[in-house]
Amino acid sequence: MRLTLERSALLKSLSHVHRVVERRNTIPILSNVLLRASNGRLELKGTDLEIEMVESIPAEVATPGATTVPAHLFYDIVRKLPDGAQISLDLGPDQAAMRLTAGRSRFQLQVLPQEDYPDLSAGDFPTRFMIGTLELKKLIDKTQFAISTEETRYYLNGIYLHAVDSTGPMLRAVATDGHRLAQSQLKLPEGAAGMPGVIVPRKTVGEILRLLDDASEEVEVELSNAKIRFRTGGVVLTSKLIDGTFPDYGRVIPTGNDKTLEIDRASFAAAVDRVSTISSERGRAVKLSLSDGKLVLTVTNPDSGTATEEVEADYSAEPMDIGFNSRYLLEIASQLSSGTALFRLADPGAPTLILDKGDEAALYVLMPMRV
Amino acid sequence: MVVRLLPEILQNQIAAGEVVERPASVVKELTENALDAGASTVEIVIGGAGLDLIRIADDGSGMTREDLALAVLRHATSKLPGNDLMDVRTLGFRGEALPSIGAVARLTLTSRHASEPHAWAITVEGGRVGEPRPAALTRGTRVEVRDLFYATPARLKFQKSARSEVAAIGEIVERLALARPDVRFTLQTGDKGERVFAGRTGDGAGAARLAEVLGANAGTDLLPVNAEKDGVRLEALIGRPQASSGTVRDQHLLVNGRAVKDRQLMGALRAAFGDTLARDRHPVGLLSLTLPPQELDVNVHPAKTEVRFRDPGLIRSLIVGGVRQALADAGVSAVSGSSAAVLDALRPHTGGSTGFSTATPVSFNSGFAEARQAAFEAFAPAARPAPAPVADDDDHPLGAARAQIHATYIIAETPDALVVVDQHAAHERIVYERLKRGLEARGIARQILLIPEVVHLKPSDAEALCARSAELESFGLVIEPFGPGAIVVRESPAMLGDTDLKQLVQDLADEVGDWDRTRGLEERLWAVASRMACHGSVRAGRKLKPEEMNALLREMETTPDASTCNHGRPTYVVLGKGEIEKLFGRR
Repeated sequence: MRLTLERSALLKSLSHVHRVVERRNTIPILSNVLLRASNGRLELKGTDLEIEMVESIPAEVATPGATTVPAHLFYDIVRKLPDGAQISLDLGPDQAAMRLTAGRSRFQLQVLPQEDYPDLSAGDFPTRFMIGTLELKKLIDKTQFAISTEETRYYLNGIYLHAVDSTGPMLRAVATDGHRLAQSQLKLPEGAAGMPGVIVPRKTVGEILRLLDDASEEVEVELSNAKIRFRTGGVVLTSKLIDGTFPDYGRVIPTGNDKTLEIDRASFAAAVDRVSTISSERGRAVKLSLSDGKLVLTVTNPDSGTATEEVEADYSAEPMDIGFNSRYLLEIASQLSSGTALFRLADPGAPTLILDKGDEAALYVLMPMRV
Repeated sequence: MVVRLLPEILQNQIAAGEVVERPASVVKELTENALDAGASTVEIVIGGAGLDLIRIADDGSGMTREDLALAVLRHATSKLPGNDLMDVRTLGFRGEALPSIGAVARLTLTSRHASEPHAWAITVEGGRVGEPRPAALTRGTRVEVRDLFYATPARLKFQKSARSEVAAIGEIVERLALARPDVRFTLQTGDKGERVFAGRTGDGAGAARLAEVLGANAGTDLLPVNAEKDGVRLEALIGRPQASSGTVRDQHLLVNGRAVKDRQLMGALRAAFGDTLARDRHPVGLLSLTLPPQELDVNVHPAKTEVRFRDPGLIRSLIVGGVRQALADAGVSAVSGSSAAVLDALRPHTGGSTGFSTATPVSFNSGFAEARQAAFEAFAPAARPAPAPVADDDDHPLGAARAQIHATYIIAETPDALVVVDQHAAHERIVYERLKRGLEARGIARQILLIPEVVHLKPSDAEALCARSAELESFGLVIEPFGPGAIVVRESPAMLGDTDLKQLVQDLADEVGDWDRTRGLEERLWAVASRMACHGSVRAGRKLKPEEMNALLREMETTPDASTCNHGRPTYVVLGKGEIEKLFGRR
């Protein structure tokens, strides 16, 4: 294998690929990135056996071939080479080491045989559809914060993607950690009808989001029962799915909440942020006191003092007090995108529904706290 | 197949399997006999790790010729005079030890009763009982066991190493010695020389004996515990948290003068120490329980190392309450920290060129630089700053701060000692206790679950947990029964965040049988508090002003358990003035 290519192209694709490679591995080859040169292109591949990232970039290939080199080391070297450098990679005839040359810098990297590199991309992907990059980003953005980090309920460690028929056929994403739930949906893309409901793991969700930042306009999504694949630009990300059953989340979304609070989103978020300054502990509650036309937020911390803020609001039901985890409130408030937040409440012990006014695409359910 | 009664020799060998497990158990049985005979000195000689020779001589009442012949028969005993197993007042009562030993070894019993003109001896070899014959002995009884297990080769094969046998014998003798500080014990194990436990009576005898057993390290600074409840008395001597041990070997339990092992009661002792000890450390000490014989059953195990109590909850709460009280009382008012260890570290330099090199100047950036500076400025009297506010106040157990070294340790002075305080550890405990008090006072906020968690348990565990749901709720966990063998968690402590509730509930269920408190939940909450305390406290490396140091010392004096940080490390050590004087050869 012998080739020459431009540093910036190699760096950009390595920055995608090396991220999925774990720094510590019990299987040595999993620390490596697979390089395959042929037909004027260099293909890079990294995997952690759950996710596989493949990217292909143009290169001047003198001799085709393939090998694997330590991913993080390779990335660090390329990163430190000067901008605009021409990098040549050369795997000697004995295939014992890969020589990297750029200007007057020379490196020799140990290699492992490319035949041993695991392959995740095999298998059939019966469902295939195109989705707009921005739409996919929105779908994920609005839900990923609610993914559970607690490992025993593994089926909550991801976003549940599935097709539903609510106001027409929809592609819906749901995430919950058992305290709150986030749901976001968009019109079902063509070709996605009949897709299986799948749980996309947290790490994959993070990787996709990063890819979407410099993706082309559309992303191709392929699905099977066990895997999902995203294809955009020259990058292909294949990931295993979480093998589990997502809970019947529909039951926890309240439908009969009759008290409605409408409030300016920005001033609400700023007020929650301000009053929660006084609480130092994790999970400190903020009390919402609702009465005619106003909302009073209160936080009490016996060690440091109290904070109160009154916010103008549209509320006409009977007055009530309800407590929430201030962090959860802030996270939801920052997901809302319209100017006005809409709360639908029932009582201080029941789930509360939070929506963007005038945008039914995303909804949030939050459980109150008892103080 | 014909059913027949086993020959007596075989019966005895079978019984020996339970009673005489290893050389240490022979030592235990024979020494207990000596104590039951009213001995005031017991001499124990061991040869070949107890397999070649065990000889135990006492100065007890001795036996007549007839008694001697009976003693080696099974279920023959001088004890249990009222024939009432509910009223056992001696160490032994089963009448199994001598015949069992005789069944597996060469046993010679020599004894003289006051009514006999001379001593008598009887020999049992592999179960064959000889005739009593006249012998020479002035008083008491001497038992000689040779070639232990020669008659049961299988048992002989499964003996542990000589070293561990000798250690086990030492441990047995220690335990028996703890029970009877008035009796003089000597133990000769051949290679290791002689251990002597001097006989003492009166106040402090028990403490002196315990110090002999624990050794200089832990035995010097023990806290007395005295508690009584419903006819049960607890007298204990416990080591301070700083003197803890990595094993439970140095925990001794006496029940009515009988050395026993009881994991639950040792657990109670550990629980009483709570977070003053690190997770893997164990308290040291001696617990002695006195209760009416009817309140307990010692006939549980042939070797009588276990007992059962009629009301274990009472005993447990007595131990936990008594020990907690003693620890709290001790607080910081008394000398803490093992000064022996401090002294060891402080041994003066005797080497030639080690120590201080004059070539490299060391710049000391003392926290008192300002004060020192002030000394120079004394020529301008008006500019002299006031000395540290409580510098010469003698009333404080931790004294007045004099300096900070390495930006980590506070040196304080009391009228009769030097105190070194680890500022981070000390402040961490203070912040932790404050957080705990706050949480306890205002209750623990609960997050209602959007998706309640169903946990499957054993039906009995589920029931036991639900019976405690009110207590759990006060710690922020709301559970409800969910059909047989399952519970559903509705609300969880908000402090724990997104946590593994299933594991939490299972841990609680495991504990609920053993403990009368649900510690698992508390522990987890306090662990979170402890992490917060760690972040919220003054770190090592931070320079403190004299006022700050004194404030810290004053606060330590009013904080419970301030002598250890919440990870169980000591927060301060004390070096007595006398010990300093010793270091310099003034005493």
